[in-house]
Amino acid sequence: MSTAHNADLAIVGAGPVGLFGAYYAGVRGMSTVLVDSLEQPGGQVTAMYPEKAIYDVAGFPAVKGRDLVDRLLAQAAPFQPTFVLGEQATELSRTDDGFVLATGAGRELRCRAVLITGGAGTFTPRPLPVGNEYHGRGLAYFVPDPTQYAGRDAVVVGGGDSAVDWVLMLEPIASSITIVHRRAEFRAHEHSVKQMRATRARVITDAQISAVRGDPHVAEVEVTIKGQEPERLPCDRLVTALGFTADLGPLLKWGLVLDKRSIVTDSAGATNIPGVYAAGDIVEYPGKVKLIATGFGEAATAVNNAFVHLNPNRSLFPGHLSEHPPEQVVAAAAST
Amino acid sequence: MTYVIAEPCVDVLDKTCIEECPVDCIYEGDRKLYINADECIDCGACEPLCPMEAIFFEDHLPEKWQGHKQSSAAFFVELGMPGGARKVGKTSNDPPEIRALPAQNGSDG
Repeated sequence: MSTAHNADLAIVGAGPVGLFGAYYAGVRGMSTVLVDSLEQPGGQVTAMYPEKAIYDVAGFPAVKGRDLVDRLLAQAAPFQPTFVLGEQATELSRTDDGFVLATGAGRELRCRAVLITGGAGTFTPRPLPVGNEYHGRGLAYFVPDPTQYAGRDAVVVGGGDSAVDWVLMLEPIASSITIVHRRAEFRAHEHSVKQMRATRARVITDAQISAVRGDPHVAEVEVTIKGQEPERLPCDRLVTALGFTADLGPLLKWGLVLDKRSIVTDSAGATNIPGVYAAGDIVEYPGKVKLIATGFGEAATAVNNAFVHLNPNRSLFPGHLSEHPPEQVVAAAAST
Repeated sequence: MTYVIAEPCVDVLDKTCIEECPVDCIYEGDRKLYINADECIDCGACEPLCPMEAIFFEDHLPEKWQGHKQSSAAFFVELGMPGGARKVGKTSNDPPEIRALPAQNGSDG
């Protein structure tokens, strides 16, 4: 394969379906690069319901959203997909021998085929009423590495599962930890809220962050409880978990045939642009059911068809993997 | 498949759901709020938040409020899929059967 390419297959969207697509591309010997506007893989599952049990993934009577994402990452890992996270795929243009996928950060990814697994679109963290300019300077939307909070004054904003889980995770290591929620009731699991209330975490409800200060880094926040005077809190780590908004965004302008804001594919997962495939919630065809389970099947179909598109003399069927397991998978299994 | 807002929303329009909806697909009429079935991604974030418990997954809609599925569809006949309620704002697309409902006092009785 040409070395001028970043990868054989660019996957737009690192949700469950995109991750499974990366696995299957690996099985077929294709290198992949996954692009996602979120800083964390897992797409809608990570953004909307990491703690919820999912009951309709084949082979799992119940699996927590977060665990499903971890398993998909582990499954794809032997093939070493490249992740470009926190960057939105903005433009797709054709070249002589494939495509260039541009991101909002100005990166250009050269690939031979494209798989769009964009789900409901670009998930953007819902901003605080004030202080969003501190993102990357003490303000974060995710907590991928709790050790960064050791000895810090942390404030978490939000009332859902993510907010409460992060408080539980950071409470043992942060110097101080406060959760600020604008309602009286938490949306998170009752059990986790109870657990949180039993820790030293300070819980402030019916309150909002009314100011964020510090130069250049967050140093303090001002919290205002409804009807009261603002209170200043030392804070050098601010985490906001206020949910996300989703928007299909730029890919509506890529020249794809759409139906009701979904991408139309045929039974091979092919779009109207040769070499561009799509799978998962973003796809529409007669009889389509939007489930993770169907998305997995669509990803396998699309990736195998993309492989034959790039290698016309090869078989569409990947062969029985039980008889001929991919060597990377065998090696990875042997090392654990 | 989608979520449907039923009778308890009428004349209350709490709008907590609007703040929460990740795809901004909950639209405001004169008498109640309506979920755009074509734009809803079935994430379910709105359902537990409604203080009136007016939001139901389509298949769980109580028998007495089945008509709200149809009313919801009717609300969007003209609007179609605007791709976001915020930019549309409040409209007077409430179908006749919703307009005809007696004024509600906000209690669930």
